[in-house]
Amino acid sequence: MSVHSRFAKTAALAMAGMLTLGLASCASGGGDDAGGGGDDLTTVGFVAVGPEGAWRQANEANIQDTFTTDAGFELKYAPATNLDQKSQIDAFTSFVDEGVDVILLSATEGSGWEDSLERAQEAEIPVILIDRGIEPDDTDLYVTRIAPDNISVSESVAEWALEQFPDGGNYFTLEGPAGVSVVNERNEGFTSVVDGTSLSSLGAQTANWSTEEAKSVFETVLKSNNNDVQFVFAQNDEMGLGAIQAVEEAGLVPGVDVKIATIDGTQGALEALAEGKLSFVAEYNPLFGETALEVVNSVLDGDEVESYIVVPSETFDSPEAASTALPTREF
Amino acid sequence: MTETQSAPARTAARLLRTPYFWGIVAIALLLLVNVLRDPGYLAITVNPANGNLVGNLVDILRAAAPILMIAVGMCLVIATGGIDLSVGSIMVVSGAVAMEFLNAAAAPDSVLAALAAFLLAVAFGAILGAVNGILVSVVGLQPFISTLVILLAGRGLAKVITEGQNTAASNEPFRWIANGYLVGLPVVLLFAVLIVIAVGLLVRRSALGLMIEAIGMDPKAARLAGIKRRSLLMTVYIASGILAGIAGVFATASVMTVDVSRTGYQLELDAILAVVIGGTSLAGGKFNLGGTVVGALLIATLDKTVVFLGISSSATPAFKAIVIVVLCLLQSERVRQLFRQRRAPGTFVPSKETIPA
Repeated sequence: MSVHSRFAKTAALAMAGMLTLGLASCASGGGDDAGGGGDDLTTVGFVAVGPEGAWRQANEANIQDTFTTDAGFELKYAPATNLDQKSQIDAFTSFVDEGVDVILLSATEGSGWEDSLERAQEAEIPVILIDRGIEPDDTDLYVTRIAPDNISVSESVAEWALEQFPDGGNYFTLEGPAGVSVVNERNEGFTSVVDGTSLSSLGAQTANWSTEEAKSVFETVLKSNNNDVQFVFAQNDEMGLGAIQAVEEAGLVPGVDVKIATIDGTQGALEALAEGKLSFVAEYNPLFGETALEVVNSVLDGDEVESYIVVPSETFDSPEAASTALPTREF
Repeated sequence: MTETQSAPARTAARLLRTPYFWGIVAIALLLLVNVLRDPGYLAITVNPANGNLVGNLVDILRAAAPILMIAVGMCLVIATGGIDLSVGSIMVVSGAVAMEFLNAAAAPDSVLAALAAFLLAVAFGAILGAVNGILVSVVGLQPFISTLVILLAGRGLAKVITEGQNTAASNEPFRWIANGYLVGLPVVLLFAVLIVIAVGLLVRRSALGLMIEAIGMDPKAARLAGIKRRSLLMTVYIASGILAGIAGVFATASVMTVDVSRTGYQLELDAILAVVIGGTSLAGGKFNLGGTVVGALLIATLDKTVVFLGISSSATPAFKAIVIVVLCLLQSERVRQLFRQRRAPGTFVPSKETIPA
């Protein structure tokens, strides 16, 4: 009996160990720090967000594909563990200690970076922010931020909506989690155009970027307004796809009875646009590895760069535009 | 004073002491608030095109289905004196497995593929539940720690399965599980009700429920009474895993997409809340399935009410918290005594501790 139970205990312990190992390997999955880069390679530390969604995937893969050994770089990729800021700060600090040439940073949280950035400054390592900004936005602490502009992207959605509904209409906003800077900026850009026009807001609710929640939220919104909603502003693609399903289930036709506009421009959204279920997709362009590469080179040459570099983004307003873009869509 | 009470007053007093009475009151109040906002809120109409019932109440019941599943599993686990933090992560794993399978099967109309995906999802739930069970019963780890491991590992596993991508698939029969109707009622609701009834019958019509309570109350005494703690714990954690797997199917089938970072995210908290609202003590040793059902319905009602009233996103968590805190205060024996004391300062008699048989 005792031998049996000891065996069972050992087996279970081994199992627990395997699980923990599995966890650890998840955390460092894709870690590309093989080391041994030649002296002539420029080492770049990339403090990244890691698995978050299609957009982030495209963005980080693009950065990794750009900073290759062929291009003269050794990229050290450090994704956050479960979007945890502490793991990012740890990775950042170890890059500073290691003395990499440049650090690229996509912060999961905007605040709390001052100390780390000051350390990098003391070590004379230039820091370039990728996509996400920091708060408070102290431009002395970093060299530049490269990102698409949320405000102008959401303004393009609002301008399209005004064109579509010259006689006004009711709209509802599906937001990301409250308090996130992306959400604030996308709201700011949208309302700055729409406020004071004949488009009237029925309200806004968070669906936490999720298709499932967006469907549940929007089915209730339709009921509470007796289906009198003409336009939905979904702040990301996934929530727009959820809204489509809620509209269909209410017996309405998406694109005809309710027009839905989304931001991001991932493949799923463009497919829905090609089918006419979405009406407008504003891209938030993730593919700016090339721009980042140019910036890194000029920073290392000692050139001055702008403190904010806006990545140009496209918009898609018809099924035809979506069908044309789809075959070459990278994300 | 108690002797002079009439029969209806006694019934009322007993009802007041039912742990989930205030849960029912809260649901009724929330519905009332919605009716004040829109008098037609409770109306359930029949869709003339297909004979399906449509209405806000139907939506609430549908939204409650996944919470019901995990809450019932959680209730049994809590009754043993444990806790299962991994249910949300098991949901995302089973959802990911189902979506990946359907994607690979590429059979949008195949009932067989849907059935296989469902069974696969449930099997993964059972396996992860079994890991929990082994960690708790054989290794003897704290349930909090063991299920926390699966909470973290599960989401990681889902990311590995889907390669970190949100995965969508198309399969009509699978979609039907969450969105279809049978004799005018949502399939997902019928499904959930059947499962809850089956679990209820299983634990209350057999000695299983008593044995679960026994190990939660006093593991030593239970062992002396000849109850096999280890196999019971395994059963309970596997059951919780299976139920979470089914909840994962409900959640992903609804939109036919698994969102690795959001599906089932923090739903373990909703499940624990539903159990607590239902009057089951976190200390274990006693459980109340009926109350858990009330708790799950309350959470769904609360979620839907927040949207229906158009409470702004930033105020939503605060609103939910207030409702729940008030509810817990009302349930607390001590707070109620405080009120009684105020009302009738002279007649207060401390209630006698009931001695468990």
